[in-house]
Amino acid sequence: MLGQVIISGILSGALYAMVALGLGLIFGVMRVINIAHGPLLMLGSYTTYFLYAHFGINPLLTVPIAMAVLFVVGVLLQRGLVFRVVDAPELSSLLLTFGISIALVNLAQLAFTSDLRAVEYITGSWLVGGLAFSKPRMIAFVFAAGVTGLSFLLLKFTRLGKAIRATSQSREVAMVCGVDVGRIHMLTFGFASALAAAGGALLAVIVAIQPEMGGVWTFKSFLVIVLGGAGNYPGALVGGLLLGLVEQVASLFLTTQLSEVVAYVLLVLVLLVRPSGLLGGRQT
Amino acid sequence: MTSKAPAALAVALALAVGGVVPATAQGPIRIGASLSLTGTYAKLGKNQHEGYQLCEKDLNAKGGLLGRKVQFVVYDDQSLPATAVRLYEKLITEDKVDAIMGPYSSPVTEASVNVTEKYKKVMVAPLAATTSIFKKGRKYIFMVISPAEVYLEGLVDMAAKRGLKTLAVVNEDTLFSKAAASGALEQAKKKGMQVVFTEAYPKGNTDFSALLTKIKAANPDVIAAATYFDDAVALTRQMKELNVNPKMYGVTVGGDLPEFYDTLKQNAEYIYGATQWEHTLPYAGNQEWFEAYKKEFAHDPSYHSAAGYAGCLVYAEAAKRANSLDADKVREQLLKLEMRTIFGDYKVDADGFQVAHKMVTFQWQKEKKVTVWPDDLSKGKPLFPTPAWTGR
Amino acid sequence: MAAAILSVLAALAAYPVVGTGYGVRSVQQIFMWIALAGSWNLISGLTGYVSFGHVAFFGAGAYAGAILVASAGWPWPLAALAGGAAALVLAVVIGYPCLRLKGPYFAISMLGLNEVLRALVSYFEGLTGGGNGLSLPTLDASVAIYYVMGVLAIVVTAMSWLIVTSRFGLRLMTIREDEVAAEAMGIDTFHHKLGALLLSAVGPGVAGALMARDQGYIEPISVFPLAITVTMIVMALFGGKGTVFGPVLGAAVLFVAQEIVWARYPYVHPLLFGAIIVGVVLLMPRGVLGLLQQRYRLPRTI
Repeated sequence: MLGQVIISGILSGALYAMVALGLGLIFGVMRVINIAHGPLLMLGSYTTYFLYAHFGINPLLTVPIAMAVLFVVGVLLQRGLVFRVVDAPELSSLLLTFGISIALVNLAQLAFTSDLRAVEYITGSWLVGGLAFSKPRMIAFVFAAGVTGLSFLLLKFTRLGKAIRATSQSREVAMVCGVDVGRIHMLTFGFASALAAAGGALLAVIVAIQPEMGGVWTFKSFLVIVLGGAGNYPGALVGGLLLGLVEQVASLFLTTQLSEVVAYVLLVLVLLVRPSGLLGGRQT
Repeated sequence: MTSKAPAALAVALALAVGGVVPATAQGPIRIGASLSLTGTYAKLGKNQHEGYQLCEKDLNAKGGLLGRKVQFVVYDDQSLPATAVRLYEKLITEDKVDAIMGPYSSPVTEASVNVTEKYKKVMVAPLAATTSIFKKGRKYIFMVISPAEVYLEGLVDMAAKRGLKTLAVVNEDTLFSKAAASGALEQAKKKGMQVVFTEAYPKGNTDFSALLTKIKAANPDVIAAATYFDDAVALTRQMKELNVNPKMYGVTVGGDLPEFYDTLKQNAEYIYGATQWEHTLPYAGNQEWFEAYKKEFAHDPSYHSAAGYAGCLVYAEAAKRANSLDADKVREQLLKLEMRTIFGDYKVDADGFQVAHKMVTFQWQKEKKVTVWPDDLSKGKPLFPTPAWTGR
Repeated sequence: MAAAILSVLAALAAYPVVGTGYGVRSVQQIFMWIALAGSWNLISGLTGYVSFGHVAFFGAGAYAGAILVASAGWPWPLAALAGGAAALVLAVVIGYPCLRLKGPYFAISMLGLNEVLRALVSYFEGLTGGGNGLSLPTLDASVAIYYVMGVLAIVVTAMSWLIVTSRFGLRLMTIREDEVAAEAMGIDTFHHKLGALLLSAVGPGVAGALMARDQGYIEPISVFPLAITVTMIVMALFGGKGTVFGPVLGAAVLFVAQEIVWARYPYVHPLLFGAIIVGVVLLMPRGVLGLLQQRYRLPRTI
């Protein structure tokens, strides 16, 4: 039983890590807490659904499309609304993204109705020994690991990635070095939205899609960032896996109900004991 | 600003919201209801609304009630008990409707009945299945559907008859599902089956992997799940992913909707479900009603539509026999009334609790729902045992 | 000014005599929102620490009050005070760890709080009835609760005014403007924030217990919904966070607008609220009252 649960935990951990990385980027670069992150993921799921249901496109191929679409949405949101509060007190950005998130969910309800959507693409699992490896989750894991890996490569080796990291460390110095900070903010928000969309697109094959599915992802992404350390991007990976494992193991030994409490208690404990995160990061 | 103006403004504000007592008039009989047209129960609440609408149409086509036309006044409670309470107060004290019909779901009904009891208004509550609502000494509330506790009765009965010994029960942690689960546990005990696992999960839960891992380890013959729609779908898919293979697997609400099969496709085969009503049941006028509903609303009715329709007819019949809309007179008739509609039989005990209506259990077989229990209403045999996921 | 306020209060006090059951309930709701929005303002408006889980205090008060009435037979006014006490305890338990850190972390931790409470309520079902909900013995106290809720609204508003015009309030606002500077000036930011959180939890706790009594039945989902937090935030923001009468204005105006609009367009209701939040944050961060304060040079302390 424990073995099965650990597998479940690792598989879900990769998804958590990828989505949380997006949130972490926005926080690191712009000091904005994007409460609308979950709804952006939800929009990614719907993109996959519609491409699959109406055009018959293989759901796995829709992942890059969803990423591209939400990249644009993210850039528009940043350019249109979020950029105005980047320098304002944190209260404003929190409230702004909160308002955006409510609006996005309701728009989805109006446009898509609250009816459950499902993408029945691939179900079942590969059985190895006594353990079941869920097919859709394995595929999601591979994709998520791939996207996260690519993201790290991008951050570490490309000029854009370095500019993002520089802005994340110190905006003023980055500006002095010639980085167009405004453009970086825009691209980061777009990139983060694309990561959320990838998560959503992969989830579309695993869970049922409905407008309110994103909310819990926002909270869990924060949890991952706190665990790994704010501004510490590889920390998102560790945090994601840890969260996945803790949740699954807790559900095994406690009941499903209490696993939510466990995640929360973990958050509070980490905030109390090591607020800069397990891998060390920046405390605000 | 004079010192009188704010006071006047406050009163005006209060009146604008609350309203003043309007004058009553003869004219149509206005039946008020608060329904879940938006929110979590939107889909099924809409079906119930359509049932009420069809009843209104049919009653008026036959000359109305007590010589007057019938007109429904419906508000949306957003699937929230607190809102429904306010809306029923509005319907009774402001709109001054002549009669009341019940809302969707047990929690909303439980909250609303406090209002109707307060004002002593009869409420036929066609979509409340929880026994406890009707066992609190209330006088003016009447049940139409079978109680939650018997939803899984068919599944357990069939399992016991085939010599299955072990049972796992899971349920959503809400009023209705808990009642259905406890009913299943009671049944199992009576039939001498052993319950090897039981757990409740929170509403809105999407991840059942740990739960199913535990069930798999307990290896039950039968899995009985007291669910709504979303969780039934998620549970089924994850059962396949984790390769959990009971000999029989049944769900409750949601398993009977066509969308269940649309969403799960072949993975829905062999699943048992319970329903309060099927259009193939041998009740007089059933098939014709089904066709009329489809024509009117362009989609198949669910049992919620039929229950709403029947509940409204039951009320109308009682009012007719009482020859009045007076609550106590109608109540007297509702307590005595025995009636069969397209929905099935109606008869209540002294608490207004339904005792005559029968639930049926069906199984998805080759894209169709085949009624398999009870024997006198069944149309086919169950495909037993359910084959393993890998063997399909 | 005082005469105007008194006559408004007198009119509201007399209203139950002429109003319908629905009307009384509705005005009572306005009182409740005034208390909720005003309380949220105490922590979020004054200190800048946004609380996204404030409904947790409401729900905790609702359950505490309901359990005492249903299982222990307490009279409801006493149970309502106990609801406030329960919310206070919760605020201490949450505040201690979470307020030591800076704003965003507090906001994040409050975001998940009400889900956790919902899970805990479901878990301890022997006490709370879990998913079955909790039914209170039938009692029609609609009018009495109207008055008590009205008193609660007045108390919260009065408390706001006392804080805003005091040194304590000034220090809270200093924390909002620049916490590092506040600390440098020697303000014990942690205890001040904690104090504000405690004061902001009492109102919702009492309101929750009163609502539980009024409804006669509560269940986890209906006392811990995100929608209540959203509404209190919108009302306080719209009216003017950080002011005393801003939440009062926001609550009254938005509730009436909601009843009228929502009755006809139920489907777009959350969208409108989201749009209002975005609009207020971008265009009038100080809310309507803030705008009026600037325009008409009204005192800072209303």
